[in-house]
Amino acid sequence: MLSLGLAALLFALPPGTEGAAASEPPRTDDCAAMDEAGEPFPICFDPGNALLLGTGVQVRDGLALPTLQAGILLRTERTSKSKGLLWFNTHRILVTEATPGTARRGLTTTLYEGTFRRHLEEGFILIPTSRPIRIPFPFDVTLAVRAGHLERRVWEGPGLTVETGRAALLLDPIRSVSGRLWLGFGPAASHSLRRAPDGQLTHELSPFTSALLDTGYETADGWWTVRASALAGWINSFAGERRFRVRADASVERILFALNDQPLWLQLHGSHAYKDVGLARRTEWTAGARLLVRTFSSL
Amino acid sequence: MIIKAAALGCALLLSKLEGQEVAPQPGTQQVGESATDNSTEQGRQGEGQPQTSSPTRSGSDLTGLLTPEEPRPSLRYDQPILCTRLPPTQEVPSGEYRMQCDPVTRRCLIAPSHELDGDGVEIDRPLLRTSDCERAEASANVRVQEGYRFVPAIAESPPGWYRDEQGRVMQFNFDLHRRIYLGGAWAPLFRGGEGLTRDRVRVDFGIQAEIPGGDEDQRLNRITLLETELYLGEPSLDIALLRYDFSVERKVPLFRITTFFGEPRRFDIGLNLGAWMEALHQETIERGDSELSLLTWAAVHGTLDLWHSQDLVSYVRLRAGPAIERDRTHGLNTLVPTAALEGDLTLDMDGFHHLFFAAEGEKVLLADTVEGRPQSPERLKIRAGYELILLAINDQPVSLVVDGRGTWRNDIPRVAAKWEWSANAGLRVSLWAPARRNAPLASAR
Repeated sequence: MLSLGLAALLFALPPGTEGAAASEPPRTDDCAAMDEAGEPFPICFDPGNALLLGTGVQVRDGLALPTLQAGILLRTERTSKSKGLLWFNTHRILVTEATPGTARRGLTTTLYEGTFRRHLEEGFILIPTSRPIRIPFPFDVTLAVRAGHLERRVWEGPGLTVETGRAALLLDPIRSVSGRLWLGFGPAASHSLRRAPDGQLTHELSPFTSALLDTGYETADGWWTVRASALAGWINSFAGERRFRVRADASVERILFALNDQPLWLQLHGSHAYKDVGLARRTEWTAGARLLVRTFSSL
Repeated sequence: MIIKAAALGCALLLSKLEGQEVAPQPGTQQVGESATDNSTEQGRQGEGQPQTSSPTRSGSDLTGLLTPEEPRPSLRYDQPILCTRLPPTQEVPSGEYRMQCDPVTRRCLIAPSHELDGDGVEIDRPLLRTSDCERAEASANVRVQEGYRFVPAIAESPPGWYRDEQGRVMQFNFDLHRRIYLGGAWAPLFRGGEGLTRDRVRVDFGIQAEIPGGDEDQRLNRITLLETELYLGEPSLDIALLRYDFSVERKVPLFRITTFFGEPRRFDIGLNLGAWMEALHQETIERGDSELSLLTWAAVHGTLDLWHSQDLVSYVRLRAGPAIERDRTHGLNTLVPTAALEGDLTLDMDGFHHLFFAAEGEKVLLADTVEGRPQSPERLKIRAGYELILLAINDQPVSLVVDGRGTWRNDIPRVAAKWEWSANAGLRVSLWAPARRNAPLASAR
């Protein structure tokens, strides 16, 4: 399955850019190398700006499961009109992981996930006295939102879990002037729907009673990336039940090679869920490896 | 400390201006010296100029031109500004300044073009949010020759922004009608005869925008998206996908009444009629074992402003009109006429204080009979609140919101109609929130 997926990915790659090189915008010398014929080829990539395709294998509950990934990744940087300062934004659209096969068939997909970090060279808190007082506040503020996160585990029977929305306000002490380094932590609010196999619908809400940590680093050339995120806190059902749950995941990636200027990364990843995953709110560990192609990510 | 340092800097600066015998620092350009030797040119110009009633000072007699003022003045954002280079000092080694001269008072305000650190020494960061300036290398020397005083000052800042003595700019005026807000509040509920529900909280979210418009009349359009209030404890949800309304100040009065007792006099009566619309408003409320889910497909109301501010942002108005509502719990489509008196007042120029209130009555018509409630149920809602900006984090305001609400309704089957009272107190973080459209200049404040 893994080799089949990889082969499919490689066939899906767009053709080389031999003829298109002249129409491309000029690239910096640092991100272009020359081949023996004098043709430039990219050696820097932006893992946050790409069409993502991937395949891999993961181990969960002692079972080795094949996985497929896809999604649209966008990263933008803009200057605010109203405040005149920098925003580092990421958008992840329809990022999906499927577990095919018969043993643990399932699908996890997120309609939209975005982070919006407002960067200030010198953060501060303004106390609005008649002569305003400025107190140092060494954090960037990030708004992290997620909408339409669906988990469907066919092997658990009918039913699914949908996180309709999640919003978090994160503080970032690193205050990087690049979108490739971030560390945000702060309170999060979310609303989820859980449809049980018997059709019963349960609303669950975490009204800023959870904390979210989101961090990552990508080298300037995009060859290495490290990411981690964790969500922990209490979630309430409308019926009045309250439970504690945790989700955490981490990954490290290294670029392997580029084919037709489209890079391929090897990702090692692991995740943990405490009383939260699936219809039965299970506790489980997962570890695995993925091969990820991020097309159109060359700089 | 900053003031002393800056004063010392200016003293050093002017001591360097006193004579050409001071050796210029490498790579810097002195007043009275330009690439084409402006000092010579200016000296010649000075010789040829007629004497005025105010004697022209010579370039070697500048002592006393520096006149620090307290509080330190600010350059005006709405007046022309020159960017010029003056002799470097220990505090401002780049020698780069912003300068604004007033020919009436013969005074030039000068401010370093980079931010200063806590000791008043220039750092690498250029000033943010300044206005455009015209580059003029020789202008400072010309001003010296003309006898201008130099006053250490704070650089200009745009309307709604404040710049401190280190040159750091911060927003001091917030438009809370243009924002994306997210907040939470403690919202205890008291139901007549049933005691107090303390473990009740509210999460709220919304996107608000205001767009001025109108060709013939002054108009202010208001748009609200996804206004959401979600309560836990005694659960209820209130979410409106879209609301739109506008206030208008009409130039042509609706009625002109002329009286003929004594001198004929005319009285103009203008009615500022506007509109209010809502689409897809979901309200879900649970009380006891009963739940009611109402979806308003659309509501179109007329509004009559009893009063509004000159910029139309604040208002007190009457609102009335119908709504088409779907009672999802009982599968009914109903018509709901509504009448309301409501107000939203911004109490200060900088947008820190807001008062809002509403009293609203609704009657459900065309409903089928539902067991346990009247044929045409009614709802009464009153609300008054206050929002105060407590502080701003990285120019994003954090506000305290307190409000009290009362609701009386008999549309929930098998739930006795009683007044419910809740007091809410919480915090809101607002993103966007630019300076208000009529924000004043800090120097004019």
